[in-house]
Amino acid sequence: MTAGDVVDRIKGNIGVPWRDATYRDTYKSGGADTVVTGIATTMFNSFDVIERAVAAGLNMILPHETTFWNDRDDVPVVSADALYREKREYLTAYNVVIFRMHDHIHDRRPDFTYVGSARLLGLDPSRETPAGSHRFTIPETTLGALASDVRRRTGIRTLRVVGDPNARVSRIQLGVGYATPLANVADIDVIISGEQQELDGFLDAPEYVLDAAALGITKGWIMLGHNVSEEDGMLDMATWIQTLVPEVPVRFVKSGEPFWAPD
Amino acid sequence: MADMSRREFVGLGAGAAVVPFMLESARMTAAAPTAQEIVDRIRRNVGVEWNQTTIDTFKAGDPSTGVTGIAISSLATIDVMRRAIQSGANMIITSGPTFYSRADTATPAGRRGAPPPSPDPVLTAKNEFITRNRLVIWRFSDHWYARTANPFAQGIVDALGWTKYRVGNDPRRLSVPSLTIEALASHVKATLGARGGLRVIGDPKARAQTIAVLPGTIPIQTTLTMLPEVDAIIAGEIREWESSEYARDLVHRRRRKALLLVGRSLSEDAGMNACAQWLTTIVSEAPVRWIAAGDPYWRPTA
Repeated sequence: MTAGDVVDRIKGNIGVPWRDATYRDTYKSGGADTVVTGIATTMFNSFDVIERAVAAGLNMILPHETTFWNDRDDVPVVSADALYREKREYLTAYNVVIFRMHDHIHDRRPDFTYVGSARLLGLDPSRETPAGSHRFTIPETTLGALASDVRRRTGIRTLRVVGDPNARVSRIQLGVGYATPLANVADIDVIISGEQQELDGFLDAPEYVLDAAALGITKGWIMLGHNVSEEDGMLDMATWIQTLVPEVPVRFVKSGEPFWAPD
Repeated sequence: MADMSRREFVGLGAGAAVVPFMLESARMTAAAPTAQEIVDRIRRNVGVEWNQTTIDTFKAGDPSTGVTGIAISSLATIDVMRRAIQSGANMIITSGPTFYSRADTATPAGRRGAPPPSPDPVLTAKNEFITRNRLVIWRFSDHWYARTANPFAQGIVDALGWTKYRVGNDPRRLSVPSLTIEALASHVKATLGARGGLRVIGDPKARAQTIAVLPGTIPIQTTLTMLPEVDAIIAGEIREWESSEYARDLVHRRRRKALLLVGRSLSEDAGMNACAQWLTTIVSEAPVRWIAAGDPYWRPTA
């Protein structure tokens, strides 16, 4: 079993046309000829994840996000950095092949990241209306109670919330990663997503939601952080890939929330 | 010190209560400058060549309005504007956008080729609020950032109480008495007034001595340059597939490293306090006040 065999089976079963122009879903270390002993799926391809994958005998990693800290994994951006060289040398020493799985995970239906995130948050798929919209109606609660529930379910240390904790909410729009829905999307009380630029974007949510709250307009914004918002979908990806590649073990390796906060 | 006579004492007491009021009244009736004149004066005195393509422009109101008072903030939220009005100000100078985007258009921005978006209730209400209260809003970010030494960094360093620890008078570089990352994070939280926005990567028990102060939004290139050189970075915001992952890897392999993120808006709050202090040195006709926008985020504790 080579990495090329694994990638061919992924391309043949992803269910959407492969984007040949993608700069994301490509090899970042090793190549098609690398012999695969086992496969790890992960969210962020941290040094710690790579070490744990290697220790578990998994030398092929399918990360959703970058390996070298920039979207294109452009080497010239990082090549002068000592930690880059160290990470690269480690990958070479342990014969690790990396193939990023980003664009096509979002292209396929269902998108594993939304499936994983909804499950983590306890959002019932039968309450998603219309199907595939990532809009969920929950029994009316307060933004404060909803945020506490999200915190309990996810264990996130640095959950960030904007809005009036006493606002009564029931209509949730779920986003993932950096694909955070606009804060003023119609007929929605609360946005739950991963990450968004705070200011100087297209519609800056924190300021918008602060103003909505000052005006008494119901609006809440809950940011899980990029890692947690998409991470559970990598478990679904591992399960799916195991069905395609029964010859070697496939495991989900958790990168986890990188942040903590003082009390 | 000689005993004060009763008459002198009364005089001082009365002066403390009455004189500023009289001075402010006199100022406003005598020669209230227009908002445009205030901006012209800033441009002449900021010490940075004015760039013709800049976001530092009027965002709302009539520049010919006579200024009764100036409120300075990192974010012209409705809450900040209400507090500005209460303080008698009608001109607001903000480092952040007013209408929730870099374009700062007072109506919803449309995507090219798409039909015009329907009116947004929050934008509509904010416009009405500004018009009703005859406010003038001007953005001051590009040129305030360009000033030497960086006033946003200086504002943070002053708030931290660490001005004496600057390396070579550059507020972006500090060398402080060694402390744990945990203690550093608590100090940052308390002195900058962070709530839920502060996020930290790093071993809480590791110690830091050299610190980079990088307000605003920092790209991966900056983190790649700075974090290997210092023990900790205090920054505004980053992209989570860039600098925070680099910091996670560096902490994993080197341990004694930390990245503290306070959020873009809060990272500019103290720098606008510095702006208010500076503006009082060139504007004497109208009161100038800093209004803290604070940390927009909270997090559930239960």
